Amino acid sequence: MVQLQFLGRTGTVMDDLLNDFLAETAEILAEAGGAIVAWEADPADRAQLDAIFRLVHTIKGSSGFLSLPRVTALAHAAEDALDQVRRGNRPANAALVTGVLGIVDRLTTLCAALGQNAVEPAGDDRDVVDALAGQSAPTDVGYEVAGVPLRRDDDFQGELQSWRSIRVPLPLLDSVMTGVTDIVLARNEFARMLRESGASPTVIASFDRLSDSIAGMRQSVSQMRMQRIDKLFAPLPRIVRDLAQDLGKKIAFQTSGGEVELDREMMENIRDPLIHIVRNAIDHGIETLEHRVAAGKDITATIAVSARQSGNQIEIEIRDDGRGMAPDALVAKAIASRAITAAEARALSPKEKLELIFRPGFSTAAKITAVSGRGVGMDIVKANVEKIGGVVELRNDEGRGLTILLRVPMTLTIISGLMVRAAGQYFAIPRGAVREILLENGDTVRIDRVGGGELATVRGEQYPLLRLESVLGRHSDESEDIDDRALVIVRPGQGQSYALSVAAIHDHEELVIKPAAPMIMATGLYAGTTLPDNGRPVLLLDVQGLLAAAAIDATEAGRSHDRMAEAEAQAIAARNAVQLLLFRDMNGRIRGVRLSVIERVEEVPATALFESAGRVQAQVGDDIFAVHAAKLPDTSGPLKLLRLHDGQSVLCYPIAEVIDIVRLPDAVQPSAAPGLIAGVVLIGGDPVELIDPFWLMQQYAAANSGAVPNQPLCRLADDHDGWGENFLAPILRNAGYRVALGDEAVDEAPDVMLYLTEDGGAGAHPSDDVPVIRLRASIAAAGPEDDTVYRYDRQALLDALARRVGGGRT
Amino acid sequence: MMEKLYLIARIADTRVALRSHAINSVVTVGIPVEVPGAPPHVAGLFALRSRVFTLIDPHVVVGLPAVPVAAGQRVIVVDVADHGYALLADAIEDVCFIEAPETRVAGKLLPGWARVADAMIEHQGASLLVVDPSHFVTLPVMKAA
Repeated sequence: MVQLQFLGRTGTVMDDLLNDFLAETAEILAEAGGAIVAWEADPADRAQLDAIFRLVHTIKGSSGFLSLPRVTALAHAAEDALDQVRRGNRPANAALVTGVLGIVDRLTTLCAALGQNAVEPAGDDRDVVDALAGQSAPTDVGYEVAGVPLRRDDDFQGELQSWRSIRVPLPLLDSVMTGVTDIVLARNEFARMLRESGASPTVIASFDRLSDSIAGMRQSVSQMRMQRIDKLFAPLPRIVRDLAQDLGKKIAFQTSGGEVELDREMMENIRDPLIHIVRNAIDHGIETLEHRVAAGKDITATIAVSARQSGNQIEIEIRDDGRGMAPDALVAKAIASRAITAAEARALSPKEKLELIFRPGFSTAAKITAVSGRGVGMDIVKANVEKIGGVVELRNDEGRGLTILLRVPMTLTIISGLMVRAAGQYFAIPRGAVREILLENGDTVRIDRVGGGELATVRGEQYPLLRLESVLGRHSDESEDIDDRALVIVRPGQGQSYALSVAAIHDHEELVIKPAAPMIMATGLYAGTTLPDNGRPVLLLDVQGLLAAAAIDATEAGRSHDRMAEAEAQAIAARNAVQLLLFRDMNGRIRGVRLSVIERVEEVPATALFESAGRVQAQVGDDIFAVHAAKLPDTSGPLKLLRLHDGQSVLCYPIAEVIDIVRLPDAVQPSAAPGLIAGVVLIGGDPVELIDPFWLMQQYAAANSGAVPNQPLCRLADDHDGWGENFLAPILRNAGYRVALGDEAVDEAPDVMLYLTEDGGAGAHPSDDVPVIRLRASIAAAGPEDDTVYRYDRQALLDALARRVGGGRT
Repeated sequence: MMEKLYLIARIADTRVALRSHAINSVVTVGIPVEVPGAPPHVAGLFALRSRVFTLIDPHVVVGLPAVPVAAGQRVIVVDVADHGYALLADAIEDVCFIEAPETRVAGKLLPGWARVADAMIEHQGASLLVVDPSHFVTLPVMKAA
């Protein structure tokens, strides 16, 4: 028989169909095997025969659809033989039954191969088909020739399991889950008792083995309950379509992140809130067509629902581009409905105003006053989400849309947790988010205090450092041993990591997590509570929430990455490297600044610096520049000044000495707030503060504009057609001149006059000592005496200007 | 008859009557586990029969300074929105039937009490506030009085 080639990998649709076929066929074959055996015992049982016939027929039908010629042929042979029996043309005897079973076994083998390779293997089935057709053929020979194993037991181990599935009633699944939860709790309790009783090592060892199998079991059970969030999103498009049609609105609905998995119990709990929020968005959030046009928006509104996993939490975002919420309107409504008093209303923060929609009864008020707005049952939504330990966040952009974020734990059940201590109290961290644990004063860890924050460097990788005590607003316990302090490298989500410093690491435990009370969840610091085996409640830290509370950017992008990537990047970076000038500043600190912003390093005597108008200034040659210093330096020797130039003005930065010029590393840990220090980089293993030239210049920009102008003023005259203003002036400004146009009043004598005509200004010189340049329209000069400049000869013009003014920047 | 059954207790320095159907049980607690960062009326967590309860200090809710939790102190366990809470009680006096009807709150109460009191009731020659324990849990905490 010919093997079909195209089945190979023709995309996911085909894969799904194939998987469905395999799962279905596996069930059918198992059933058929049993039925055939039963029928063999009682060949007169017509109903049994019909059932087998139908089963085989089904396989033939679906395999034909999928173009599986071997399977189809086998099924056809079996179907044919059975049909002969049904028509009475063939007796139902042991030979026939064995023949059919042979076919069933061959089909099973084929399906196994299909499940593994997704391709029907090449091969010949004539042996089993003939065995069935030729009823005289000795049955045993058929098997030997075919080499088909009669026992399927072996087949069903290993690969077959990848596509076999069974349907289990949900309550059964839930009861298994509850059972495992109880087992874990009992195990924890038992562990404590064992420890206290000082049991023998053999007892502990076998208990540990029991513990391990329990851990494995709860893992499997948790996976059993995971479902793709797609299921939750599935009814939404229909709801949107119907409601939009009823209300006469046009809405484009998008979902993303459907592959995120969530415990089915959580799924049940957020189904209604999600539908509610989407309905609210359509009903109240999205404006009518006319309003959208009036607001200058696209007529078709967008509602996007997306899900993503972040550590052990799932974030579901419902975003619309409707009118958003008006905080003041909400307050007015709340007062009108007597939900709050006017005095209370005045004390509300903007966030609290928005959160009025979560007040019970608020929705009713909204309906009665018929003022459009949100809040239909938002109190219920919030209660439902909080019940499962979730949080509802509002991100309002008045006039442009509302985003509602539901953050729910991935599972309510059991997680492996790391117990840590801080401020004399135990806390749990989900083990899944922990990447590494290190002793704080170990050799591999270096902690630097930079710019008011702390930075941990572990084997060349930088992490922002959070001290658990300070995030929680506590003081560290005096009695704690400093040597016990540990760093937990936490990865709360994709592309984020930070180092959490704790007083001590305790141990690992299987923890049954229960949501904490809403007001505790609302702190954003905790993901739930748990009862470990000592019987005292422990709070599970929300590793993502801690970041938010500490207001630290923990994205890894731009930080040092692993060495492999670094080596690779080095080659590219070397070519277009940004160079960094390393210097020691007046206080002996090593700092760096991009080389490109430094015009030159000036060495001046200390007397060149003077104080004027409360600012330190430096005289360099004929120019006076601002100096970045709070007071005059108290040395009398020569000073080094970095001359920073931004294309417009110059600022001097006093330094003690230049150290080196190095390549600026890609990994910059940015500062929290703008200031003199833009961030911290590692140079040769040492942290170096990076000067922010932008901030620095900004500080002196205002001072500079009023100070002695070191940009020559160039006045354009005879600009009759605007050529000077439109064509010439930009070039001059770029070249470092200030430009005054003919009719512009400037109470300052120009440094140079630029006449745009060859005979311009012949009669009336504004003042004789102002140098003059005339531009001519023709390329060729009129004669050797002609000192005019062709107006499109940029270089000649700039040269002439430079000669006349003796300055400028060419 | 159940609706006539009240728990007479002293909470937040005031004698009050709590409707018994709102109350789960009265137990004693050990030293609770603190919850750093939580609102001031959260006095901590404690475990009871493998459940974790949140301890609420009614003093803070009505605008009084918080009181430290003493080991063995009695608390009133209530369920609000599927979460377990316990109100710190200064003293538990009695559980009794009160035949007198609940009446509207007469007179002006402190703002903190006005939020939690539902009604008044006459009992043994004294007027008691009838309070709903769930109000101590769900209402926003008074700004420092």
